[in-house]
Amino acid sequence: MRILLIDDDEDLRNLVSRYIRGHWPDAQIDGYDPLERDLPSAAFPLRSYDLIVLDYMLGRGDGLEWLKALKQRDDCPKVLFLTGAGNEIIAVRAIKAGADDYQRKQELTREKLIASIRELTASPVERTVSPDLASRLEGHNLGAKVRIPGIKVLHLIGEGGTARVYLASRETDDEPLVVKILRQEIVLNRKAMERFMEEYAMVERIQSRHVARILGHGKHENNIYLVMEFFEGGDLGKRLGAKPMPPQEALQLFRELMFALGDIHEKGILHRDLKPQNLMFRRDGTLAIVDFGIAKNIAAADRTGAGEVLGTPRYMSPEQVQGRALDLRTDIYSAGVLLYQMLTGKHMFDGETAMEVAMHHLNTVPPSLPGELARYQPLIDKLVEKDREARFRNADEVIGFLARKFEQQPALETTVNLH
Amino acid sequence: MSADDYRVIVAKDLEDLIPVFMNNRHKELDALRTALAAADFEKLRQLGHRMKGVGNSYGFAHVSTLGKYIEDGARSGDRTALQASISEYGDYLSKVQIAYE
Repeated sequence: MRILLIDDDEDLRNLVSRYIRGHWPDAQIDGYDPLERDLPSAAFPLRSYDLIVLDYMLGRGDGLEWLKALKQRDDCPKVLFLTGAGNEIIAVRAIKAGADDYQRKQELTREKLIASIRELTASPVERTVSPDLASRLEGHNLGAKVRIPGIKVLHLIGEGGTARVYLASRETDDEPLVVKILRQEIVLNRKAMERFMEEYAMVERIQSRHVARILGHGKHENNIYLVMEFFEGGDLGKRLGAKPMPPQEALQLFRELMFALGDIHEKGILHRDLKPQNLMFRRDGTLAIVDFGIAKNIAAADRTGAGEVLGTPRYMSPEQVQGRALDLRTDIYSAGVLLYQMLTGKHMFDGETAMEVAMHHLNTVPPSLPGELARYQPLIDKLVEKDREARFRNADEVIGFLARKFEQQPALETTVNLH
Repeated sequence: MSADDYRVIVAKDLEDLIPVFMNNRHKELDALRTALAAADFEKLRQLGHRMKGVGNSYGFAHVSTLGKYIEDGARSGDRTALQASISEYGDYLSKVQIAYE
């Protein structure tokens, strides 16, 4: 394999080369420093490379312009575009300019880099023998085939049990969006589909700033899709890492979460799957909930009689573990588990298996907060009461409790800078 | 910052890259100071952007954080904030402890 690595940063060139050679010891990597050299001329042998890794900010040039120029050539290989810019609009522009994949430098890991290069350089034979690659290839092809008026579907960015997720852009202004395309096995389940369409129609009507904006849904040939806003700030999981948040910031986010739950509960919707990955942040730092238990509902309908299937059990309420009928207090419990994690940087319960963690929710007294956080213990206790009759009854009660107990905290009244 | 904040864990197979990486960070610090003295905000923005991109990749999350502060400060022309961030960067580079695992 031969790779052309165009980046003005010596350290990035060194690191990327090391990652690649660690996986493909025979790879030939040619570093190209744009601070010392201009855009490769027409005589430059692009054809001899299997891949170009191209940086966005080249020190004295714009990587997007280089990308466009390179991609105009017949001999240009696949291009992996690296960007240090947090702004996803750059990713949209890169894909439109012809990039075959992109990675954010801040999140660049050995695994992500290798996976991307493997996919971009895999031969057709390799693709047919690897189910994972085949699935991703199918996903890429599917995205290209689906036509949504006014929206360009650009690039597969994730896959879940029920849907493939694509970065997309609005054609009029390049605003980044997300398009979810349901998997065919879900589409073919009529009951699951009806529930899906019904619930999302409801979410579309919520119109809360705390809920992901669904900009449309529809059907193209046999593909069911959803268009929703793109969240530049990432999710709570990414923000937390494994570290505790300053208590006042955690409480501020928690209070926003309570407003969000208040909004959706008022519409008769239970989330049922609150977890850090389902709490997203916009560019301005505001929080919104995504994925309204769709996967859970559909999975439950799809697997009736096939035994209980546990998703991530870390945030499940005791009544969820027991498979009992749920009401809005299940979301209150899950939010309490999230608050514990935000305050301590740790999961409330751990275990070797999903079942072990789930059983802790049923039977184990939650660990106490560390001494310096003791003032929040009564709040946590009442959120994660195993008996839901003893729990806060709704989000309004929680908000009232926060106001009474913590209203003197100035940080609760201010906007937290989440960037 | 606590002592833990100065501790960075780097993958063992990157150990031989770290001297170059740290040397470049010290050069970067000099360049930042020079650019601030000259009020060269475009240069400061570029340097901050580079720090933001490269820090996390090597495991130096605080370099990325400071890079973002410097990039933002350069965009808004906030000399006080830039001075504070560059000063913190100097302090960080003088105290950072690297472990290889």
